[in-house]
Amino acid sequence: MSVLEVDNLTKTFGGLVAVDDFSLEVDEGEIVGLIGPNGSGKSTVFNCIMGLYDVTDGEIRFNGVDITSDSTHQIVAKGLSRVSQESNPIDLYSVSENIRLFTLPNSIRSLHGGASDEEIREYAARIDIEDKLHEMPSELPHADVRRLEIAKSLATEPELMLLDEPFAGMNQAEIGELAAQIERFREDGMTMVVVDHNMGGLMELVDRVVVLNNGDFLAAGTPAEIAADDAVQEAYLAGEGLQ
Amino acid sequence: MLGDIATLVLQGTMISAVYALIAIGFTMIFGVGGTLNLAHGALIMSGAYVFGVLAQGAHPAVAFPITILVVALLSWGLYQILVRWVEENVVITFLATVIVAVAATEVILIRFGSSPLGMTLVSGAVNLEPYGINARPRIVQFVGFVISWVAIGLLWYYITKTDDGRSILAASMSERGAQLTGVDLHSVRSKTWLIAGALAGAAGIILGSTGGATPLMWLNPLALAFMIVVIGGIGSIKGSVVAAYVIGFLEQFTVTFVGHGFRGILSLVVLVVFLLFMPQGLYGREFAHD
Amino acid sequence: MISTILLLGTVCSTVTGRLGRVAGTLRRQVLWPVGRTLERLLAPIDRVLDPVADGYNRSLGPYFGEMSGLQFGVIAVSVAGLLTAGYWAPMVGPLLGGGLLRTLALASIWAIFAMSWDIQSGYTGYISFGHSALSGAAGYTTALLIVHVDPTLSIWVTGSVSVLAALVVGLLIALPTLRLEGPYFSLITFVAVLLFYRLTTAFSSLGGIPGFGQPDVFTWDPMLRYYYMAIPMLLIALALTFMARSNLGMILIAIRENEPAVSAAGLNPTKFKLWSFMLSSVPMGIGGVLLVGFTGNVDPSTFVVVDNSIEMIAIAVIGGMSSILGPLGGAFLFEVLNHQVLHGYSTPVRYLFLWLIVLFVLVFARDGLFRAIWHRLGAVRGESE
Repeated sequence: MSVLEVDNLTKTFGGLVAVDDFSLEVDEGEIVGLIGPNGSGKSTVFNCIMGLYDVTDGEIRFNGVDITSDSTHQIVAKGLSRVSQESNPIDLYSVSENIRLFTLPNSIRSLHGGASDEEIREYAARIDIEDKLHEMPSELPHADVRRLEIAKSLATEPELMLLDEPFAGMNQAEIGELAAQIERFREDGMTMVVVDHNMGGLMELVDRVVVLNNGDFLAAGTPAEIAADDAVQEAYLAGEGLQ
Repeated sequence: MLGDIATLVLQGTMISAVYALIAIGFTMIFGVGGTLNLAHGALIMSGAYVFGVLAQGAHPAVAFPITILVVALLSWGLYQILVRWVEENVVITFLATVIVAVAATEVILIRFGSSPLGMTLVSGAVNLEPYGINARPRIVQFVGFVISWVAIGLLWYYITKTDDGRSILAASMSERGAQLTGVDLHSVRSKTWLIAGALAGAAGIILGSTGGATPLMWLNPLALAFMIVVIGGIGSIKGSVVAAYVIGFLEQFTVTFVGHGFRGILSLVVLVVFLLFMPQGLYGREFAHD
Repeated sequence: MISTILLLGTVCSTVTGRLGRVAGTLRRQVLWPVGRTLERLLAPIDRVLDPVADGYNRSLGPYFGEMSGLQFGVIAVSVAGLLTAGYWAPMVGPLLGGGLLRTLALASIWAIFAMSWDIQSGYTGYISFGHSALSGAAGYTTALLIVHVDPTLSIWVTGSVSVLAALVVGLLIALPTLRLEGPYFSLITFVAVLLFYRLTTAFSSLGGIPGFGQPDVFTWDPMLRYYYMAIPMLLIALALTFMARSNLGMILIAIRENEPAVSAAGLNPTKFKLWSFMLSSVPMGIGGVLLVGFTGNVDPSTFVVVDNSIEMIAIAVIGGMSSILGPLGGAFLFEVLNHQVLHGYSTPVRYLFLWLIVLFVLVFARDGLFRAIWHRLGAVRGESE
C-alpha cells in the first residue's frame, strides 16, 4: 500500500518552473532514493510535501489523506518528518533539550508534558548519540550535528521520514555508519525517502531510485538500472557527472 | 464639492512627494542591510532643528546644503558608531535605533524645550480661490514638492546610471551575489546610510518649514515610512514613490471628507490588507529559495 | 567627496576598535579580579545555603527553575525586602531624596509591564512596540465605566472589565499580525499605538489630551498604596515565572531562535505566539488598572504614548530579556535611578541618561545586567561556565 503519493506536483516561483508535473509513490517499508543534479528540484519537492511552499498544482496524499494544503506542524502530526539539509539546532539548548522540544505536545495546556529523560535517551541511542546528550550543539562535530537532526526527527515518531542529503559533508567511514543506521530504521518498520545529488551513498541503501532533472521526472528503477541508464548519464554529464 | 476634489488633488500631490522623500531612505537601508532604522524619524527631526538654527543666522540657500550635509554625517555616524556593531541581530538593532530616537527627543527637549521651533525656507502663499480651489497653499509647499522630486530624480540617476550607485542596487537585490561580484558590503552600507541621511535631512527641512519642528516630530514620519515601505515593497524606490502617493491621497481624502481625527485610520486598514494579502508589496521581490 | 568620508570612517572605526581594546583591558585588569574576590567571599555563603536550595529544587525547582544556594539566598532576601519595604523604605528614603515608597510602588507597576512585555516579546522575539495600547485599553475602560456607567462601581467590576478590554485589544492586534515576520509585526504594533494615541487625543469622548480625572486613587496612604501595587506584582511574577519555566517558555524561546524548527517539531507556532500575547495582555491589563489607582487620572501621556512602550522595553533590556525576573529587577533599578538617584535633574536629562544606559547594555551586555549577575551568582564555585 502506498504511504505517500505525490500526483502531478507543479511548483513555480514567478515565471520559474522549479518542479513540473512530478509524480511519486512510496510504499510501506521502502527506501526510495530521489536523485538529480543540483538545482533539479529535489529539495523543492520536499518543501512542497512538508507544506513549506504552497503547491502551484497537484496533490499530495499521506496514507490516503490529502495533505496538500496542510501546514508543516499538521503534516508532522500525521506522521511525516523531514531531516533538512541545513542543520539548525537551537544553540541555547543542549542536545537532550533539542530532542525534547520535538516530543512536546502541540497544546498550550501541557505545561510539563513531553518525553522523559529515558525516552530521550532511547531516541538518541537509535542514532548513537546517547553519550552526547548533555553537550551543546555548538560543541559537536559536524557528523554528530547531522545525527542530532535525525534524532529530532525520530522524536516526532514518524511513519515516513524524508532525509535531505543526509550524507553531505561526511567522510567515507561516517557515511558507512549512517547508512547502516538508516538500514536499521527500515528494519524497525520505517519508510524513507532519501534525497542526494550523487548515487554514492545510496546504491546499496535504496530499493528504488527516482531521478529528477530540471524539475521533471527523468527515470526510475533499481539502483543498477539507473546507473546504466543513458538518459541519466547524459543529465549528469551536462552537470557534474555521476559519482 | 468640485473645489474639495481640486484641493484634495493639489494637496495630495504635494504632500505625497514629501512622503516619498521620507520613505526612500528608510527603504534603502532596509533593502541593503536588512536593518530597520527606527532612528530614521529622528534624523528627519534633526534636519528640521539643524535648519531651524542655521536659518536664524544664515540665508536659507546656505543653510539648506549645510543641513543636508550635517544630517548625512549624523546618519553615517550612527551607522559607524552604533549600528554596525549590532546589525547582525535584527532585534537588538531596532531596539538600539528606537532608543536613539527617544534619546534624540530628550536632547532636543534639553536644548530647545517643548515648544515648536519655527523656520522659513520660503515665505508667502498663493491664492487659488479665483480658480475655484478653496485653498491657499503656501509657496513652501510647492518648493517642498520640487525639492522632493529633484532629490528622488538625483537618487534615481545615481542608483541606475553610476557604478557606485549600481553597487547599492546590487547589494539590495542579493548580498551574496553582490559580494561574489566584488562589492564591498561594508562600504555600500556606509554609503547607503550617508545617502539616506541626506534624504532625511531634506525631508526634515521641508517638514520643519511647513509645520515647525517639535521634539516628537520623529514619530509620524517613521510610521509613514513604514507604511509606505510595506505597501511599496521593501527596497524598491519606485514602490516607495507609488505607495507614498497612495498613502498621501488616502490621508488627504480622510481629512477632507471624513474628519481630521480619522487621519491615518484608513491608511492602517490598507496597511493591514497589504500585510495579509500582498506581503511583498506592490513592487517587492518574491523570495525564491534554492 | 564620498571617498573622503569613507576615509574618515576608517579613522573613526579604528577609534571604536581601540575603545573595544580599552574595554577589554578594563575587563581583564579590573572587573575580573574584582569578580574573583567576590567569588571567594561569596562561595562560603553559597555552600551554607545549598541544603536549603536543594530542598527547594527537589520540591518546587521543576516548576520555577532550579537555583544554587546563593541564587536562592538572593531571591529570598529580595522577596523579603519587597514585602517589608513599607516599613524600611520611609527610613531609608530621605537618603535617596525622599518619596522612596512612591517610587517603589511605581516600580512595581512598571515591573508588571516589563514582565508582561517579556513573556511575549522577550521570549518569542516578536518585539512589540505597542504594549502601552494594552495597559491604555484597561485604563480607558476603567475611566469610561466610571464616567459613563456608574461612578460607584466596585473596583472588582471595573477591574475585570478593564482586564478583559486589554485582552480584546491584545487579540485585535495579535490576530492579524502574528502570522507576519518579526520586523513587520514590530512596525505594525508601533503604528497601532501611534493611532491609538491619535484617537485618544483627537476625540473629546475619549477625554482628549487632559483625559479623565474622575477615577479615584486606591488610597492616599503611601504604605498601603505600595502594597496594593507590590503584592499583585509579586503574584504576577510568580505566575509568569511558572509559565516561563514550563514547556511553554521552551517553545517560545525556540520560536525566537528558529521558528521553522518549531513547525518541524509538530508544534503550531502561531498558536503559541497568540497564547503568549494573551498571557501578556492579562497582566498588562492588571498593570493598567493599578496605574489608574496610582495616578487617579487616565490621559494619553500617562497611558498610551509610545514612549511608555519604549520604557517597558528599556526596562526589560536593562534587566535582561527572556528571564521574567530580569525585567522585574530592571524596573526597580530604572525607577530608583529615575526618581531617586537622578531626581535633582530635569526630566529630559534623567531620561537621556537612562536611554544611554540602555544603549550601553544593548551594545555591551546584551543579556542584561540582572541576568548576567544571576549567572555569576550561580557559578561562584565554578560549577558552570
